[in-house]
Amino acid sequence: MGVTNLPGGPPGLDSEPARPVIEADGLHKTFGTIRAVDGIDLSLTGGRIYGLLGPNGSGKTTLIRLLAGLARPSSGSISVLGTAMPSRPLLAKIGYMTQGEGLYAELSVWENLSFFAAMSGQRDPDALREILDIVELGDRRTAPVVELSGGMRRRLSLACALVHRPPVIFLDEPTVGVDPVLRYQFWDHFRGLAAAGATLLVSSHVMDEADRCDQLILIRAGRVLDMGTSDEVRRRAGTPDLESAFLKLSGIPGMDGSR
Amino acid sequence: MSFLRVGAIARRIAQQFRRDRRSLALLIVAPLAVLALLGYVIRDTKPLDTRLGIVNLAGPPGAAAASAVQVAAKLQGIPVVDVGTDEADARVAIRQDRADLVIVLPPEFTSSSRVVELITLGEAPTDDGARIQAVVGLVSQVGGQGSRPTIQRQTVYGSASATVLDTFAPALIGFFGFFFVFVLTGISFLRERIGGTLERLLATPVRRSEIVIGYSLGFGFFATVQVALILVFALGSINVPAIGPFGSFEIGLGIANAGSPVLAYLVIFLTAIGAVNLAIFLSTFASTELQIIEFIPLVIVPQGLLGGVFWSVHSLPDPLQAVARLLPLTYAIDGLRAVLIRASDLSSSDLQLDLAFLAGVAILFVLLAGATIRREIA
Repeated sequence: MGVTNLPGGPPGLDSEPARPVIEADGLHKTFGTIRAVDGIDLSLTGGRIYGLLGPNGSGKTTLIRLLAGLARPSSGSISVLGTAMPSRPLLAKIGYMTQGEGLYAELSVWENLSFFAAMSGQRDPDALREILDIVELGDRRTAPVVELSGGMRRRLSLACALVHRPPVIFLDEPTVGVDPVLRYQFWDHFRGLAAAGATLLVSSHVMDEADRCDQLILIRAGRVLDMGTSDEVRRRAGTPDLESAFLKLSGIPGMDGSR
Repeated sequence: MSFLRVGAIARRIAQQFRRDRRSLALLIVAPLAVLALLGYVIRDTKPLDTRLGIVNLAGPPGAAAASAVQVAAKLQGIPVVDVGTDEADARVAIRQDRADLVIVLPPEFTSSSRVVELITLGEAPTDDGARIQAVVGLVSQVGGQGSRPTIQRQTVYGSASATVLDTFAPALIGFFGFFFVFVLTGISFLRERIGGTLERLLATPVRRSEIVIGYSLGFGFFATVQVALILVFALGSINVPAIGPFGSFEIGLGIANAGSPVLAYLVIFLTAIGAVNLAIFLSTFASTELQIIEFIPLVIVPQGLLGGVFWSVHSLPDPLQAVARLLPLTYAIDGLRAVLIRASDLSSSDLQLDLAFLAGVAILFVLLAGATIRREIA
């Protein structure tokens, strides 16, 4: 699947530090008295998969919505591909798979996909067929969404987010309700997108998905607990697995690494 | 039957109502408010002003009758206005809203064979009927004793035999043009908001104006198709010949139509655009489909009562008249009556006002609707 070349350049060539694709500086977002995002700085480079990990209600979705330009930060600044967010034109370069379904239930698979393709400015019907094959819904084109299983809806939802081949991709819990085989294929596809230069931020509260990410961002109560590779996070926490590391970093007593 | 389960279901409904105070309030307040409004309208509906014109074409016997009517009118406080000297002048006077009813004493009028013509506007049979009631006593004064005079009714528009249906039809067309599209858009947009598709839509580079115009075209199209069908049904009349055991019958109401269907369509289209965008705007204030339905007594019922469907706007009590003049349906119905009954075209200042108001309302609601579609709050 083709992705346009990015200012970040190919990944892994660390001789020259790549310019970050997503930058957040002192990000705060409050709803009344609730601090959903409470001071987050990020610098994400192209060609990588970032895993955003945290328990329910930790601010993952709010952070993604801020980065995707769907919410305005209470304070702090965001830039994506060098453009200050929120920016409407830049949304053409962002793919966002929402946590909710976000599909028109009475429309068919193809009608949903072509609607969101049109909204994102994708005119090439080959791109639609290609992404449908990737999510293995090619033979269900005419099926109305109401007749799809939960997993199929997630797959269609992913297809709608990627149909315009965006270089910046936010996926909010994309693999919920997806069976293990397809989950594997999803991650395979994410890896392919990253190899082609895309930047992916994938949220999850399933820790076993974390090992598939290049970098992890652990958040809790709107703050970053730790950031780094899976190995770095475990080493710093001194725990054998990520789940324990997460519990230890959260400061929950008696839960650190003893499993 | 388990009373435990029955009780639990009933209790759950009570709990849901407790969480949804607005539904509860509406359940109690709405019928009272609607009844109060209805009572106000019916009880305080004003007697219609009747500006009387008299035209005598019958020479001296007519002149005597005319002065007798004039004296009687003065006694009853009915103003008599000058409408010229022949029937054509009188019709112009009614059309130009200088007189409401003209008594014509035709050339064949004599003191022994008393024939009287009454000319009214013919736009609203109920109004005309009320005015004729008011002057019928005067007419019996037209000279001599013995049998009552023969009254011949004529109207400026339509025909004197127009039924309530004929003048009701434009009002109902306007009402439907507003009502269904409002409810459908409201529910549809609410589903966008709560179903996550609006969130996804706003994650694309779509402009707010594109959403609002797209919705207006989409629903406006279906609203006007609906109205086109209603217009055809109301105005047309197709005879279906007998087939087998079924006798022949008519499809369509065959209502007399004076004006341009295209102008009627324009009135409805502007009305529908306003309704679509009002619904988008109000969907912000609803979190369930039920709450969209609850906008009906708030938005639809007052317009139905005050907009001229049942009573003409100028017969409403003054405070309600002022309210009626702010409601889009008032102008939609007036515009449709202007086109379909009075055969007005774009040179009519009444129709110009109706179209201008409806266009203004549509623009206002488009702006309001656009303001509620924000990436920030989606």
